[in-house]
Amino acid sequence: MKEKLRRLFEYRELLFNLTRKEVKVKYKNSFLGFIWSLVTPLMMLVVYYVAFGIIFKMQRADMQYYAFYLMAGILPWNFMAIGLMMGVGSLVGNANLMKKVYFPRETLTLSYIGSAAFHFLLQEMVLIIFMLIFQVPMTWWIFAFPLVLLLQMTFVAGLSLLLATLNVFYRDVMHFTEILLMAWFWMTPIIYPISFISDNLPAWAAKLYMLNPMTHIILLWQRIVYNSPVNGPAAYYWSPWGLLGTVVFSIALLVIGYNTFHRLEGRFVEFI
Amino acid sequence: MAPREIGIRTKSEIPAIELRGVSKNFRLYRDANYSLKEKVINFNKRGYDLFWALQGIDLTINKGETVSIIGPNGSGKSTLLRIMTRIMSPTEGMITTHGTIAAMLELGAGFHPDLTGRENIYLNASILGFKRRVIAGIIDEIIAFSELGPFVENQVKNYSTGMYVRLGFSVAINLNPDILLVDEVLAVGDEAYQTKCLNRIARMQQEGKTIVLVTHSAGIAESISDRVLWLEKGVQKMLGDPHEVIDSYHEAMRQHPEGSEFGTRDIVINRVELLDGEGKEAEEFETGDSLTLRMHYEAVKPVDDPVFGFGFYDPMGFMVYGTNTRLRGIDIARVDGKNCMDFRVPSLALLDGRYYVSVAAHSRDGTINYHWLDKRFYFEVHSPGREEGYFAMECDISMTPE
Repeated sequence: MKEKLRRLFEYRELLFNLTRKEVKVKYKNSFLGFIWSLVTPLMMLVVYYVAFGIIFKMQRADMQYYAFYLMAGILPWNFMAIGLMMGVGSLVGNANLMKKVYFPRETLTLSYIGSAAFHFLLQEMVLIIFMLIFQVPMTWWIFAFPLVLLLQMTFVAGLSLLLATLNVFYRDVMHFTEILLMAWFWMTPIIYPISFISDNLPAWAAKLYMLNPMTHIILLWQRIVYNSPVNGPAAYYWSPWGLLGTVVFSIALLVIGYNTFHRLEGRFVEFI
Repeated sequence: MAPREIGIRTKSEIPAIELRGVSKNFRLYRDANYSLKEKVINFNKRGYDLFWALQGIDLTINKGETVSIIGPNGSGKSTLLRIMTRIMSPTEGMITTHGTIAAMLELGAGFHPDLTGRENIYLNASILGFKRRVIAGIIDEIIAFSELGPFVENQVKNYSTGMYVRLGFSVAINLNPDILLVDEVLAVGDEAYQTKCLNRIARMQQEGKTIVLVTHSAGIAESISDRVLWLEKGVQKMLGDPHEVIDSYHEAMRQHPEGSEFGTRDIVINRVELLDGEGKEAEEFETGDSLTLRMHYEAVKPVDDPVFGFGFYDPMGFMVYGTNTRLRGIDIARVDGKNCMDFRVPSLALLDGRYYVSVAAHSRDGTINYHWLDKRFYFEVHSPGREEGYFAMECDISMTPE
């Protein structure tokens, strides 16, 4: 294990280069280039804002700056969803390369997460600029940004490594992940504030809801960039145990995912 | 390929690659049971056969040595090379390598079509495990060697095959690894570029690099290696001096040519039997014995007007005798289902030697081959030794005084 990690460290430059390639290639040959990574979430914002902000009047439910609330959740969600989808397909999609060259295979999976993280950072920067322009009140919580990013990356990396490994042997995993993400999106407080859950669901269901690690991660993001206690008390929820659980779960998932990956790594080439 | 001078090299006893009892098996799935549903349905069935691609390979390649691996198709050459690069891990046994490795299993693997040549050099080199600092130092050399010139700033997807291959080779060889693993890639590129590559390999040999080469070309293997490993069906058949190994290899290839089969399979020749006078399957015959070639065939759907035939060949591939139903004036209007056909030679007129047999079913005009089994069978003939050549003929000798 130690040796594997050392080798991954030796190949850190490859991880960086693959990530850079991914970032570069994504919008190559497109006229708007990087603008696209801003247009996509912006379009999602418009759709959800019209649907939930205007038609369902979400703003009345103690939600000022609803558009910013949406962005606070959608951006990290997209980061997770894109990173996971690309990560799960990373091994099967690079079959040709894996059959011809040796390199630590996890760099492939991780590079997609890296490139998703790059786009996420870019989007967050633009979001923060907009928050300054619209004078949305901010707090010192903004400095927790890197920690929450690290937490989310740990979670996504662990899950991607695990599912990417399984996907080599059962291609069903890919399709399953797609469906999972769709349901998962609605089981996470992104469009609606968390108070909707505690107000409308029975206690046991709300408890179950809180077992979703993404709920806690998204709540943290809303705390950071949206300042939920002030701008939208309905979106404010603070659960130290839930948070601790999420941290422990994410680290455990990474360890399990990484171990599974290495246990089966030797047989990848025969199956892809 | 002309034999070339090998530079004076320092021999060492320090191992660069060590293989200890390396075996590798593959699971050959009868049906690719990739989805969960099929897995559940076939839960109890073991849906695969084990195929041993390599068995018990023990090999130590020392630093500064050049070793070629030869063998017929499917003998495990490429699998062995892949194990050396750690692309695959062996099922049994262990492998240790010392030093940096660059493998050329396929030139330009990992090139991204949308990136320029220069960007791809960095990417490819880092996939091969080299640092940016190292690459920056030799990038000019790489570009020069690739003969790409200004095209290096173009997207790789616009390259010709030749340019692609040259760039790939240039990256791998100029990284100057301690161990270079090469698979069949010298076969690409024009003659001039090949020579250039071989010269570059000779320079690496002088610099004391370790090189492992998989090749089909016995000429290249013989001219540049210190030792040659001959693999056959995953087993180490011979290892040693290039001349000796390649001589034996050629000898063996002559005795067991790699038979092939082809055709549309509208008619399939399932089985071919060689029978002696008593109707028993035989492999050895005496000159003058009766020989029956029995062909079991199956037409999946009715086929009109087919022709069946056979041929005997000597070990060099020269046809000694052959005939078919058309030449014999036999018309077969239509075949359908399973049948068998006998070609009976009442008295075999062949002399001492091994004869290979091809059988075929094709259309009357010969434009469609239904099934052709090329030199897949053989038999031996022993003759009393009264004559030489291929054929036994009556020959009366008389002497009269003039």
